This record gives sequence, structure tokens and C-alpha cells, in this order.
Amino acid sequence: MSIESLVSKQNRDGGWPYVKGRSWTEPTAYAVLALLAEGEMESAKRGLDWIRSIQRPDGGWPPQTGVDESTWVTSVVLLLPRQFLGPSIHARAIDWVLGTTGKESTILYRIRERLLGNPRGPEVEFPGWPWVPGAAAWVGPTALSILALEKERLRKDTPSIRKRIEQGQHFLLSRMCVGGGWNHGSVRALGYESRPYPETTGMGLAALRGVSSPKVESAVAVAREFLSECRSADALNWLRLGLMAHGQMPAGYCPPPEVAYRTVPETSLGMLVAAIEIQHNLIWG
Amino acid sequence: MSTEFTRREWLAATAAAAGAAVLTGCTRQVPLQSSKVSIVRTAAYDQGIYDTMRRVLEEHQVDIRGRSVLLKPNLVEFEPESSINTNPLLVHATFEAFRAMGASQVRIAEGPGHRRNTLDLADAAGYFKIVPHFEDLFVDLNLDDVSRIHPTRQFSRLEKLYLPHSALNADLLVSIAKMKTHHWTGATLTMKNLFGTVPSGIYGWPKNVLHWAGIEECIADLHAAFPRQFGIVDGIVGMEGNGPIQGVAKHVGVLVAGSDPVAVDATCCRIMRIDPYKIGYLRLASGEMPTRLSEANIHQIGEGIATVASPFDLPPDLPGIRLEES
Repeated sequence: MSIESLVSKQNRDGGWPYVKGRSWTEPTAYAVLALLAEGEMESAKRGLDWIRSIQRPDGGWPPQTGVDESTWVTSVVLLLPRQFLGPSIHARAIDWVLGTTGKESTILYRIRERLLGNPRGPEVEFPGWPWVPGAAAWVGPTALSILALEKERLRKDTPSIRKRIEQGQHFLLSRMCVGGGWNHGSVRALGYESRPYPETTGMGLAALRGVSSPKVESAVAVAREFLSECRSADALNWLRLGLMAHGQMPAGYCPPPEVAYRTVPETSLGMLVAAIEIQHNLIWG
Repeated sequence: MSTEFTRREWLAATAAAAGAAVLTGCTRQVPLQSSKVSIVRTAAYDQGIYDTMRRVLEEHQVDIRGRSVLLKPNLVEFEPESSINTNPLLVHATFEAFRAMGASQVRIAEGPGHRRNTLDLADAAGYFKIVPHFEDLFVDLNLDDVSRIHPTRQFSRLEKLYLPHSALNADLLVSIAKMKTHHWTGATLTMKNLFGTVPSGIYGWPKNVLHWAGIEECIADLHAAFPRQFGIVDGIVGMEGNGPIQGVAKHVGVLVAGSDPVAVDATCCRIMRIDPYKIGYLRLASGEMPTRLSEANIHQIGEGIATVASPFDLPPDLPGIRLEES
């Protein structure tokens, strides 16, 4: 999909749908990022206006207007440059992310589990982020939140931000599948070892930029294997980002021609990945 | 939509209801209406399924002329060789049957709980190959526009439930499930398949909020949220043991269908030799009429349960759900 095509999918309210229909936060944030990378400011500004207009009083974003709850999409919005969101809007969103954890990490839940005599597994030591408040932490939203906070840390390094990033990265390392890479979040589920998924493996690696360890190396090896066989646009986008984060992207790689970029996030992320390859880094800042 | 009973069926239903009331020692008058459930021997995924599905829908007198139908298969993982996903041939046969019966629109929709790339998943499961123009007919329920719903009856602790417009606005929602065991709920059939209507665009991958709010209860909530349903279970090859993902393929050679998902799922449980009264969501959905689950209150069409029953290996942690031989 070209920039023109992406612009043509923009709704009249300034936001983007996933494919068609009403505007959603996630596709709009990725579309704006892609447009900013391409210098397409007019359409990007309309998208930013829409995003700013739907921030909730608690500082987070709903996935879609009409949804009365802030969710994981807040971290996607925080990938947008602070100067375009506005300092106040950005600061409240950072606070929302810093104040959100998986339910298993909350004090109330831990007390309850202790009273019930349930053993505390090592995988719940480090708080990650949930898709929706009130649920457990998972790899996807944790990776996105780390990316959002890393961007803020480059601007303003505070102990609370650094602590949550480190906790999140420990969360990811503790949830890695036995052979490397990530499933949604469990190393072992229901009596079997979880197998890694390409998309979550790419996300995990992207969020562990700057971290080197044998575990990360094994995840890189899994990601490279996925890259050679995967035909899903979403997965390939994240695999490429993840491998770029560790300088492990195979030289001269081109996505297979049969890969279908069907949704706005797939298309926008694909553009962003291409832009990062030529030094327009809007993901890590 | 009407599902008319013949005089003979009314008599059978009335007799069954009276019998059930005596058996359960019920003292108050509970109006029971027998639900029709078809059990059809179907040995393999072949062209014969097209005739079978047309015949099944005609038997149930599903009047769908001029109305919209949404077919909801079960797509879980990229494992085309396994028995994890609803077979695309069955979905296409159902699609063609509803079209032949005069539906104004038939679409296929799913919102997988594990993988974001729904169309890639459908492609790997063979849907693009089997269903002509599949992409034009398909709706990704994870990314569809949503509205908040207020179920008439709520069982779970979910504070807010948002559901996709394509599912809410369909005149008939057809859950086309796979006959599988489930490590938490015992069995996953047409009712559990409705988890795929919950939009991951809101709740994430996986839809973990449903687990925290109570899986059984959320299944019952979803059942209540969609009043116009038809259920079909792909039991040609199901999955036993540690389902719904890590289990083992199980050839049963049946299709099960009906307009009452509770009755369809209870019948499937009996075929799998699982006690439907030990399946929490079936108990919840049958509510004040637990006799609704009674075999006597389900009017079987086609094969009898005993002739097709095939005990499924149970999930390791749920040995107690086995249906005792009477």
C-alpha cells in the first residue's frame, strides 16, 4: 500500500479503521507514525487531532470511541513523538502506563494467593502489562509499553521509568519459551511447553533492544528462522523490527512478494520498518 | 425466523416434558419445549457434505429467506494438518445451503483468540482454497466495529461487554464448532465457540479478561447475548485428550446440528461420553430448567446417540466429567 492509499483510507473524523468502518486508536497511531516518517504532514495532523480528542480523563486511550475504558493501545499512542501529542497529553499517558500492571502483580491479588496457599511461580516476580486493566500481563502489551517508556527515557530518565522498563524486560526474559522466542506469555501452559509465535517473538526482541544475554541470542536465532518461512505481514513487520533492534537483520532482505498487507497497522508498520532501514527511526526515537 | 413443530413433535415434546417433571420430582409447572437436534453420520470431508447440510437445514425448517446469516467457524492455530480448526468444506457447504435457502446475505466471520493475523490463519486452514472469494465474504470479528451490550441475564463478573456489529446485526448467527475436549471447561462446542465473537481489538490476544471474569459464566453470557442462533458441530474428526489445542485427532464421523445450542452441545457431550450436567456453562445456560439438558427433552433427528457415541479421552485434569453408563 502506498502513502496515497493509506491517506485514502483515512476517515472523515481524522482516524483510521483497521480495514474499513469506524476509527480505531491502534491503526490511527501507526498510520500517523508512517505518515510522519514520510513527511506527509496534513493527513498526519488530522490523525493527531483525532487521537488527542479521544484521550480519556485517566490519561489512557480507548481502543475505539464509545469504549469506556483505557487499554493497551495507550502504549501504541505513546510511540508518537511527544511534540506532536503535546506535553500535557503525553505526560498523563506516561502516568497511565506507569500505573498499569497485570492483575497478578497487584498487592491485593498477591495477598489473596498467599492466603489461599498458592505457590508463587518465578514468572510472576516481574510486573508486565495487560491488554486490559484487571487481566494478567502478556508479552504483546508488555513489549509495547517498554517501547513507549524507552522513548520517554531517552528524553527524561527517571527512576520510576527505568524501574518499569527493567521489570518489563525481566518479565519478557522470564516468559521466553524454552527454545527461544515468545508465545503470548506463558512458558508452560496446561501441561505442555508453549511454542513461540513469530509476531510475539519480534515484539519481544524489539523491546529488549540493548539487552544482551544468551536468552536474547536464542530468541534472535528463532526470529531469523521465522523470518525465512513466515508469510504473515504483521509477523514479518515485528520480526524485522526485533532483528533490527539487535543488529541482526539479514542484509538485503526483502519480504516475499506474496505477503498480503491487509490492515492499516500491517501497512503502516511495513512502511515504518522500511523507513527505519533508511534511518528514519520513529519507533525507538 | 420460525422453527415450526409438527403435531407429532408437539406431542412428543409434551410427553417428554411431563416425563422429565416426574423424574426430577418437579412440583411446579415448568413449560418445556423439546429442542430438535440432528445427528448425521458423515464419514469424511467430501462433496457429500453439501447435500447433508442442505438436508439438515431443511429438516430444521430454518426460514432464512431474505435474511442475513453469519457463519462463525472455529479458527485457532496455524496447523492445517491437525483437527484444531473447523474444516472449511463444512463451512462452505453451510454457506451454500443457506444461500440456496434464500438468505439475502451469508458471511463468514471469526475473531481468533491467539493469533492476530486472522486471514493468514484462515488461509493456512484452507479457507481461501475451498471458499471462492473468501476474503470478500469474511469479517475479522477482532477488528469489526463494536457496541456495548447489556445482556438480559449476566452470569460473569464482566463489567462491560463489547461485541462486533457483524455478529450483533446478523439475523442468524451460526456457530460452526469443532467437537473437542477442553482442558478447562470439559468440552468446547457451539457455545464455547462464541468466544470468537469477543473482539480482541478491545480485549487483546488472548481474551484474558474472559478468563478472569469466569470462563463458564462468560460462555453463558455470550449465549444470552445472541438470541438468534443455529449450532453445527464438526464431529467428523474431533479432538480428544488435552484439547482444544494439544489434543489428538478423533474420528467420530458425525455432524450435529440444531437451533438450540444448549441442546446441540448436550447431545455432543453424550456422543463424546461426557456428562452434560457436569459442564458448567451448560448448567448455567439451562438456568431454571436443568431438565432442558435431559436426553428425554431433546428430540433427536437422524442417528441415535448410542449408535454414534464414541468415548473421547478426557482432559487430564477432568476425569470426573465422564458420563456414567446407565
